[in-house]
Amino acid sequence: MTYALVTLTIHGMALSLPAPAEPPLSQPSGRGGAALQRVRSALPEEMRARLRSARELDRTLRDEEEEHPPLATAVPALDRLLDGGLPRGHLVELVGGRTSGRFSALLTTLAAATSVGESAALVDLGDALDPAAAVALGVDLERLLWVRPTDLKEALAGTEMLIGAGFALVVLDLGAPPVRGGRGVEAGWLRLARSARAHGSALLVGSPYRVSGTVAAAVLKAGRPRALWQGGEGSPWLLGGLSARIEVEKHRRRLPGQSEGLDLVAADAPPVVKPAAPPAPRTAELPAAEHTWEPLRAVGGG
Amino acid sequence: MSPDRIACVSLPLFPLAARLRSEPELSREALVVVEGNGNAARVVAGNRLARSAGIKAGLTLPQARALCPKLVARSRDEECERAAQEALLEVAERFSPRVEDTGEGTAFLDVNGIEHHFKGDSPELDLGRSLIAAAEAEGLPARLGIASSKLAARIAAGLPDSPVVVPPGQEAEILAPLPLARLSPEVEIAETLERWGVRSIGDFAKLPQSRVASRLGKSGRDLHATARGIDPRPIIPREPPPTFNEGMNLEWPLLSLEPFLFVGRAALERLCQRLEACGLACVRLELGLRLEPDGHQTRSLDLPAPTRDVKTLLTLVRLDLEARPPGAPVVGFTFTAHPDRPREAQLSLYGPAALSPDKLATTLARLFALLGPGRVGSPRLVDGHRPERFALVEFTPPPPPEVRRAPRPGRGLLAVRVLRPPVALEVLTREPAGTTEDEPPVEVRPVVTAENEKRPKIEGAVRVASGPWGLEDGWWSEAPADRADREYWDVELTTGGIYRLYRDRESGEWFADGIYD
Repeated sequence: MTYALVTLTIHGMALSLPAPAEPPLSQPSGRGGAALQRVRSALPEEMRARLRSARELDRTLRDEEEEHPPLATAVPALDRLLDGGLPRGHLVELVGGRTSGRFSALLTTLAAATSVGESAALVDLGDALDPAAAVALGVDLERLLWVRPTDLKEALAGTEMLIGAGFALVVLDLGAPPVRGGRGVEAGWLRLARSARAHGSALLVGSPYRVSGTVAAAVLKAGRPRALWQGGEGSPWLLGGLSARIEVEKHRRRLPGQSEGLDLVAADAPPVVKPAAPPAPRTAELPAAEHTWEPLRAVGGG
Repeated sequence: MSPDRIACVSLPLFPLAARLRSEPELSREALVVVEGNGNAARVVAGNRLARSAGIKAGLTLPQARALCPKLVARSRDEECERAAQEALLEVAERFSPRVEDTGEGTAFLDVNGIEHHFKGDSPELDLGRSLIAAAEAEGLPARLGIASSKLAARIAAGLPDSPVVVPPGQEAEILAPLPLARLSPEVEIAETLERWGVRSIGDFAKLPQSRVASRLGKSGRDLHATARGIDPRPIIPREPPPTFNEGMNLEWPLLSLEPFLFVGRAALERLCQRLEACGLACVRLELGLRLEPDGHQTRSLDLPAPTRDVKTLLTLVRLDLEARPPGAPVVGFTFTAHPDRPREAQLSLYGPAALSPDKLATTLARLFALLGPGRVGSPRLVDGHRPERFALVEFTPPPPPEVRRAPRPGRGLLAVRVLRPPVALEVLTREPAGTTEDEPPVEVRPVVTAENEKRPKIEGAVRVASGPWGLEDGWWSEAPADRADREYWDVELTTGGIYRLYRDRESGEWFADGIYD
């Protein structure tokens, strides 16, 4: 009886997209290797090249990573959890509800890519981009293509076109719920993932709930947000920022549940023309003890 | 000094050749092109199958049908002929910068110095073969003759075994056996020569020059020189046209979209082929429709980047026709492409990979076709204070840096997800509205409308409210839509989420225009 871990990778069966070129198979060794060889010899010729041991698959992926270094996101939490950034040729899904820091992370990723001269595209299903906010985050607008679809079907079709055009980074944001067009079918996401693989693009999908099924190379979840407020005790309240955590839901090299902190500072938005007069007391709903910290602190849970 | 060398490229049976270029599937049928209406229509030209059935030019259509019952007849089509002529000139311009357009499927080329491009033993013959092959690739069965004068080149083009090269000085020998009518003499001169018994060009050329001049005058002298192969007419090069046209007059009026797209696709394919041959792409496409009984309609489609992608152009045409139907049966159409140079880019060896300009242009056009105008582009800032403001411009990314550089560290800023348009809210304040200034919101809930059903649901008690922040913009404008007088609040709800709310000071209504995310 063998306990060799055999991974069957089936490429190009579900879709009409061409399968990527497979590297030549090495000669497996050891007990597991002998079992693998037996399984291979029992398979038809055309299936042999698609059967790999976990070790072979891991080596192939490592070689790919060395050849195509990941795209840094400039979000420390994301870069740490993704081992340096977004893997090129793969779909990464970042799930996050309202006020989870998801949109800020997506824009910061776009800023990082455009700052090094890569062309990037944002497929913005929620039509949520504020160009002024993007500039404040460091996005080079000249290198950013903004696509504003009206439903998920258009968004998926547009994303596939952009990947085919050779954009190094394509960010698809599904907006705040309810998503126009639902979740889409898994075959659509599989098609996108395979297209990204064929063209070597990094595809980052931001969604309020998990949509891509099993096709994402990594799934991260932004959650546990806490608003950070400044002020109180007679002085006006000011939004200081947001503290959240990004947690691994699925990753090849990380266990689910590993997490990193995401700290965001509020920018000068909305544009302030004149500060208003000191506001009337409006902290009655909050316990008094929670209004004492200075200069930046969380009020309650998210 | 060596004599000028001129090539003449011509399409025999031009009306038929132009028709077959537009409808190549008819080449398998016995086909004639007719001029005139009804039973009075006369055959202008017929293909080989029709000719083998005994059909000749000049027969009436009923006579032709009597000879060949399965005959397919098409009327002469100016649009097809114009497009075929333009295509012929474009093919000629690939071989020579000086091309004269003489119409009716004929063009002259200046081929002096062609030996620099064709290095074989007979460069002119090689040129002729190449040009004929290029014309055939465009669906044009061309013939070619090269000589030292226009007349001789034209006559050489009409000889079998094309291409025919007439060596310098032998023009008179080519012309000699031809009937005198090929020189198109004036009627009086033709009658005089007829009385003299002169039948061929060769007979006329043998007459003494001085005698001809004294008896027939200046016109006779010029005609005599032409008969001896002397044709001093120079090539008059044409100006390249600013646009490219392809079109067709339809046999039957079209009432639905699909058949139109079927014939339109073929025309667009020809148009894009011609653009590609000239190294150009289409930046604006105009569609002219001739409507029954005598209407005309023109529509213009601006593209975000020059493209030659037929599928994209056809999708744009379909979307436009679906959005604005012509309103009457279509009896003819013309596509006019306004050309522009496709984008070019220099690839870097060490920097980030640049986008392929061709692929990018096609992708932009396809996105434009998928999403419609105003939904694809590069965002830009707009002066003003309203957070929902933005502008979209054409996406033309600058070239990437020559050397890859490290990314800038993130600024760690909290971004706002803009809600376009703002979500209308009902807001409870501690005091009734208008009682005091700057009364903070205590509880919010969405206004119940069909529109709000599809928008993010913003509902709950306010945990913390920060504000108000005044915003006044466009106060100088008389249009209410341009003015904004708002009072902004940042609120955190007990149900989760930090929102940016504002109260319109003019109407007193509340809206949410952003989510901190």
